[in-house]
Amino acid sequence: MTDSPDFLITVPTRGDGRDPLRRDRGDWQPAARRPLPAFVTDLRPGAFGPFEHLAQIGRAAEIAGLGGALVPFDPAGEESLVVAAGLLRQSRHLRVVAGFHPGIATPVYAAKVSASLQRFTDNRLGWQIDIDLDPAVARSQGDFLQGADRYARAEEFLTVARGVWNGEGYTYEGRFYQVLAGGFQPPNSGLPFPRVYLTGTSSDALAVSARHADVHLFTGDQDVAAGIAELGARSAEAGRKLEYGLRLPVLARDDDDEAWDEARRLWNIIGGAEDGLPDPDPRTGLWHGFARIADSATPGLVGSYETVAAGIRGYLDQGVTTFVLEARPHIEETYRLGERLLPLFAKEIEHAH
Amino acid sequence: MPIDIYWRIGTHGDQPSLRRRVSSRGEWAPVVPGSLTPGIRDGRRDGYSYVDHMADVARASESSGFVGGLLPSFPFTDDPWATAAALARETTTYRFMIAYQPGFLHPVQAARMSASLQRATGGRVVYNIISGGGGPAQLWWGDRVDHDDRYARTSEFLDVLKGVWNGGPFDYEGRFYRVEGAGLPEPLARQPFPEIYFSGSSKAAIEAAGRHADYYLSWLEPFPELAAKFAQVREHSAALGRAPKFAVRIDVLARETEEAAWDEIRRGWAHVDPAALRSADGDSVGWLRSQSFISWPVRDYRELEVSPNVWGGFHLLRGGPAFGLVGSYEQVAERLDELIGIGVDAFILAGVPHLEEAYRVGEEVLPLLRGHDIRQTSPLHPHTLSIAKGTI
Repeated sequence: MTDSPDFLITVPTRGDGRDPLRRDRGDWQPAARRPLPAFVTDLRPGAFGPFEHLAQIGRAAEIAGLGGALVPFDPAGEESLVVAAGLLRQSRHLRVVAGFHPGIATPVYAAKVSASLQRFTDNRLGWQIDIDLDPAVARSQGDFLQGADRYARAEEFLTVARGVWNGEGYTYEGRFYQVLAGGFQPPNSGLPFPRVYLTGTSSDALAVSARHADVHLFTGDQDVAAGIAELGARSAEAGRKLEYGLRLPVLARDDDDEAWDEARRLWNIIGGAEDGLPDPDPRTGLWHGFARIADSATPGLVGSYETVAAGIRGYLDQGVTTFVLEARPHIEETYRLGERLLPLFAKEIEHAH
Repeated sequence: MPIDIYWRIGTHGDQPSLRRRVSSRGEWAPVVPGSLTPGIRDGRRDGYSYVDHMADVARASESSGFVGGLLPSFPFTDDPWATAAALARETTTYRFMIAYQPGFLHPVQAARMSASLQRATGGRVVYNIISGGGGPAQLWWGDRVDHDDRYARTSEFLDVLKGVWNGGPFDYEGRFYRVEGAGLPEPLARQPFPEIYFSGSSKAAIEAAGRHADYYLSWLEPFPELAAKFAQVREHSAALGRAPKFAVRIDVLARETEEAAWDEIRRGWAHVDPAALRSADGDSVGWLRSQSFISWPVRDYRELEVSPNVWGGFHLLRGGPAFGLVGSYEQVAERLDELIGIGVDAFILAGVPHLEEAYRVGEEVLPLLRGHDIRQTSPLHPHTLSIAKGTI
């Protein structure tokens, strides 16, 4: 028996659009907006702010029955905690995972902000902690820590955040953080801690995950089976049991041909025609073309709803239960996934209840 | 010159009145019959939470004439960034004044959150920057920097925050912060920069205010002392070629008549523990100052009225600073006018309960403001005038 899958969407932090390269929904690429002809009444100017589109995506995910949404840490995009707070406030069920790196705040303050968000939203906040930043990006965020120290700090960050979370009288003396007689008072104390999502395949990354992750997220280009085996062993040593997740771009249509036609159309838009459309990896079935046509550089699945579901089922069989899907344009594709892909997992979902 | 008048949103629950110090709005006190405990209905979770009440206070004060609301930050409160981000889209003109201590957030992160919030609200973020003591030991927050150094850090924090605000690349190497190739991305860059309300009564605070404040914000103090404090800030700022505006945070208990106002205080006073009269913690200079204005010992609540309508016992009836105004609508408006007369450009008013009092103060007091000290234009002493008006 496989576990019930949990499907999340990925929220765009730099605008959205119908086609690759287009970010004309929101205000990230105003020049790409196609104006209405002058003789057509247009009541929009001034009526929509940059967050309208994000709110619309959150509502789409909720209405389409997705379990949650990931707002990735994106130094070149919208700030994830602010986006997450808005999405949470404007939904009733959606769980929202905010991505950030440990340098953004003291762990006490990150926990403090999050305790309020938990209180305001019936405990629907999650954290994705990004530890392995590109060094130049890290320095642009004021973070000069390198190598293994980053994992040591992340470990302390999560230790302190959990330490102050549950009650008063918490003291901590570490390499990176210090707290004296800290800890939250009711009603800020004792809430469910945000679900922690961690990533990475290095030994340091797996060690932190084994001790602190609720969900370890993989990408399709990583050896998921080996990672799960390793983490299973390490987390058992720590007396814990992790869940596993996968970030997965998807392009699903009624049949395989239609899906590949769409892939080809998108590929041509980005000017990839000359190199020809790459084939999916014969071993995994994953298509690497998403790196060019989507927001993330992660390989994903192309095909009919059944084909994509079969691919996902393969991961479910390996023990992956969380699927952070990515699909553009976000609103239309979120509806599509909710209506066409998720029902194919009705049996697994029913089984779990 | 326009006067900006803010209200305050309680981020730690609220009392139904000053008569009893019971915080039965929100979940800060045990649930009893009559508690407004958002989140629980008939013993079950109902999907509402305290932020829904804060949204009510924001809408109430927005519609009754306030330009925005201060969101205070203490260890026991809800967090202002979280609150502002959650409420961003539930008002239309209301400004969110976020209280925070530099050092808890990295300045690049503070810039990113602020810029995204400006985008979510249409530019309605205001800062209330606190550097000094906020009650318990700073190490509760996991902050190791001591009092005077915190002002130096605040300066660096704002240097970095402003440095990245308009894009990059921005490099900085300071004692507390270092960044390389930093800068907000388009279109986060070049949002309107939040106005800075800067608090703190110590020497270090007043010096730092000279450098950074758009508004120097003080608790209410007796007016001559307040004027002297403003003069000090003005002097420090002038030396740096700056001229901040001035703001005062004031609790207001206003009623139709002065008698009715004091009667509220009398009812609350009946429950005050005399031992609570003098208590202080943390390294706040402002608190020590406020206690120095009172002639001890105090036996009766009217002995805390240090000048007409200026009462120093609010901290005994609810959590927060000591001084506020007690009086008729006219008297409170006159005192506010006097404060405008000594140079106040903005007010952060508050009253308990915050929701109902927002309507009362917005509807009954604010319309009476004249915008200047009537003593300077009228031969009548303000009290004579108010009595005369009261008899008409």
